[in-house]
Amino acid sequence: MLELKDLYGGYGKMTILNGVSFKIDRATITTLIGPNGAGKSTVFKAIFGLLSIHSGEVLLEGKDVTRSRPSEMIAHGVTYVPQGRNVVPQLSVYHNLELGGITAKDQSTVKRRIDEVMDQFPILREKRNEPAIALSGGQQKQLEIARALLLDPKLILIDEPSIGLSPNLVQEVFQTLIRLRDNGVTVLMVEQNARSALAMSDFGIVLELGQARMHDRADKLLNDPRVGQLFLGGSMEAAE
Amino acid sequence: MSEFVQIVLSGLATGSIYALAAIGFTLLWQASQTINFAQGEFVMLPAFFVLVGMHVIGLPMLVSIALALVLSLLVLGLAFKKLVIEPMLPHGTLPIVMATIALGLLMKEAVKEFYSAEAQPFPALVPGDTIRLFGATISAQDLANLAISMLAVLALQLFLNGTRTGRSMQATAQNPAVAEILGVNIKRMVLYTFLINAALAAIASILISPIYLAKFSNGESLGLVAFIAAIVGGFNQIRGALVGGLLIGVIDNLAATYVSAQYRAAVPLILLIIIILVRPQGILGKAEGRAV
Repeated sequence: MLELKDLYGGYGKMTILNGVSFKIDRATITTLIGPNGAGKSTVFKAIFGLLSIHSGEVLLEGKDVTRSRPSEMIAHGVTYVPQGRNVVPQLSVYHNLELGGITAKDQSTVKRRIDEVMDQFPILREKRNEPAIALSGGQQKQLEIARALLLDPKLILIDEPSIGLSPNLVQEVFQTLIRLRDNGVTVLMVEQNARSALAMSDFGIVLELGQARMHDRADKLLNDPRVGQLFLGGSMEAAE
Repeated sequence: MSEFVQIVLSGLATGSIYALAAIGFTLLWQASQTINFAQGEFVMLPAFFVLVGMHVIGLPMLVSIALALVLSLLVLGLAFKKLVIEPMLPHGTLPIVMATIALGLLMKEAVKEFYSAEAQPFPALVPGDTIRLFGATISAQDLANLAISMLAVLALQLFLNGTRTGRSMQATAQNPAVAEILGVNIKRMVLYTFLINAALAAIASILISPIYLAKFSNGESLGLVAFIAAIVGGFNQIRGALVGGLLIGVIDNLAATYVSAQYRAAVPLILLIIIILVRPQGILGKAEGRAV
């Protein structure tokens, strides 16, 4: 579905990705884990056209989409939910959702889709006329995910969805992602809460120093002692 | 009482013109972190486009005004963005400030050099009649100015809130990173903002020049008033700039009548100092937390 081939890239002269390669399949959930500065978020930016790529390729369903701009990636069926707060604060919830379909030619479809995602996230329907800034952190995250779903994407890149959410909400977000996968959507996620993220993922990729070091089924990674000690909260001493 | 109403109304009329310049000012700031210190000259120049159209080319007034509007969009909108702001933007806010100060001087001196150093009479859009209203006598010109400026502000608000393009512009101003990942054409939205600012400046110019006469140095006081109005109202708010502009117009008029005409120029500055001391985010403004 998505393949990265020997991707090098970074900000200006600073190289962060040092030849990342991996391949993920359609209708799966894959979590990228790794220490701070490993380049997890940078991988997303590289895929989504927000980073200068020095060399390598990004293939989407076999098609070369390297260096496509965000609007082009959206047209290819990819959406991106960055970490942190990503709403337009003074616009209403409804109009934030509408922005998720701003690139679409057919606005009647967008209207229908807004209705559908509000069915999925009832809190958004309830607060549709309030400015996005008035929502709680968890509600804003739901808004961002709903907005990313507006154009029926094939692939969602979601960065640290659990930050700032209560454990209940984290489970809710994860359930949403599982439901999406069951409907054929491919999910690529970065998550600091690596243990619970891997527990609900199909695959995991360990990223270190801008390279993919391990790529395996999520349950295998969860039980791998090296991964456990380094990235899942084991002590560094035990790993040495 | 009728005198008071009269003074307030004509203050609102002038203030609404200040508001147009102040709104343009805040829009540019929001969309591209451009603090345009040439904003006063932006309001000075279009009047001279009209005068060139009428007296140099010999066109009728309305055609000259249309020409001035088009020229303003091209020069104060498009060229300003492409030739001044875009090359300076990567270097930060301060170089932009210096560049716009230089641009303002250039425009001022160019008008003085190539048109005239003398104040030029400027044709009014409406005849100089007076109208009785609430027992007060108010000039038709003041009423027309107030109506036209308020219509311009209303049209702008309807555009920004009621159209998808307007909402995309808001998204670009409020959270450019998000606008980008949603596929909003940011460059185009910023260009629209510059064009809107140019149009607002042109309207302000055509409304205010019959009162102040068209003069190369008009921008000095107009730019200062627009800047103060934007700060007083709240730098990051269109409504703030509107309130700030109206307030300065009214207070200025009241001070000239009841206090002293000699000190009227000091009034906006006193207001500015009070606001900065008491409520630095402006009357309607929100404290701004800008992420790095």
